[in-house]
Amino acid sequence: MNFFSIFKMTIPVLMGYIPLGMAFGLLLSSLNMPWYYAFFMSIFIFAGAGQFLALGLFATQATILEIGIATFLLNLRHTFYGLSMISSLKDFSWKKYYVIFGLTDETFALLKTRDIDKKDRERVYLIITALNQSYWVIGSIIGAVLGNILPFDYKGIEFSLTALFVVLSIELYNKSKQHKPFLIALIIGFVGLFIFPSDKMLILSLGLCSVILILFRRSIEDAR
Amino acid sequence: MQDSYIVAGIFIASLMTYLTRVLPFVFFRKKEPSSLVRYIERNMPVMIMVVLVFYALKDVKWESYPYGMAEIICIGVTIFLHVRFKNALLSIFIATIFYMFLVQAVFS
Repeated sequence: MNFFSIFKMTIPVLMGYIPLGMAFGLLLSSLNMPWYYAFFMSIFIFAGAGQFLALGLFATQATILEIGIATFLLNLRHTFYGLSMISSLKDFSWKKYYVIFGLTDETFALLKTRDIDKKDRERVYLIITALNQSYWVIGSIIGAVLGNILPFDYKGIEFSLTALFVVLSIELYNKSKQHKPFLIALIIGFVGLFIFPSDKMLILSLGLCSVILILFRRSIEDAR
Repeated sequence: MQDSYIVAGIFIASLMTYLTRVLPFVFFRKKEPSSLVRYIERNMPVMIMVVLVFYALKDVKWESYPYGMAEIICIGVTIFLHVRFKNALLSIFIATIFYMFLVQAVFS
C-alpha cells in the first residue's frame, strides 16, 4: 500500500482532528496557558476527551491524584480497543508500543476496518497512527496560536467523525458473519444515549455490550 | 497556574491514558488468547463502532429546537450514500458539508 492511499484513508480523521484540535487549543489559550502546552499535551497524552478533561481539571486546580483517576476512568474504553487488537499486533516489533499509544477512537476505527496485508501491516499501522497524531498536534497548535483570528466558520465540521463512525459500522456489519452483535449494540447505544449520564454513557454501554456478548455467547455463535 | 503543576498534570494524564491502552497487551503477552478472547475480538469492534455513533450524539439537545434534526437527517444521508455508493470518503464528505449547511444556514 503506497503512502498516498494510506493518506487517503486518514482524510476523514484529518477533517475531524484539525477543527477539534483547534477547539482544544482555543480553550487552552483562554485559560492563559502558553501555546507549547497544547503541543506537549497533544504529543504525550493524545486523547481528545482526555485533554479537554485535563484542561477542565487544571482550571479548577484539581489535585494530581484527581487528574489521574479521572483520566483513567474516562479512557477506560480504550481497554476494549486493545483487547480487539491483540492478535493484529502480535508479530510487531517494539514499534507496536507507539501504535498502542495512539489507539484513539478514530485510529482504532481505521485500523480495525481495513483488511491490510499481513506483510505490510506494521508499516501501514504506524503511518496511520503517526498521521492521525500529526493532524491532532497541528490542529491544537493552530488553535492555541491563531485559532481566534481565522475568518471561516467551521461550525458543524465535527460531524465528519459521526459520519466516520456510521460508515465504519456499516462496513464492519457487512464484514461480520454474525449480525446479532450489531443489533444488540444498536439497542444498547440507543437506550444508553437516553438513560445513561452522558459523561459515563460510553463506558457503561461498552461494559453492557461485553457482558451480553459473553453471557449469550452460545446463542450468538450458533446463529451463523 | 504554576508550571510545575501543569507539567505534573500532563505527566499523570499521559501515564493514565497509556495505561488504559496498553493494559490488555501486558496481560496477554505470555499466554495465547483463549477462544473467548478471540470471540470478543471478532465481535466487539462492530459493537464499539455502533455505540460510538450514539456516543457522538450525546450532546444533542433533543427537547429543544431543532430537536436533533440535523444529526438524524445527516446520519440518514450517510447511511443512504454509503449503502448506495460504498465510497467512504464520498459518504463522509457530502454528509459533513450538508450538516454544516444545516447547522449554519437552516437551523441557526
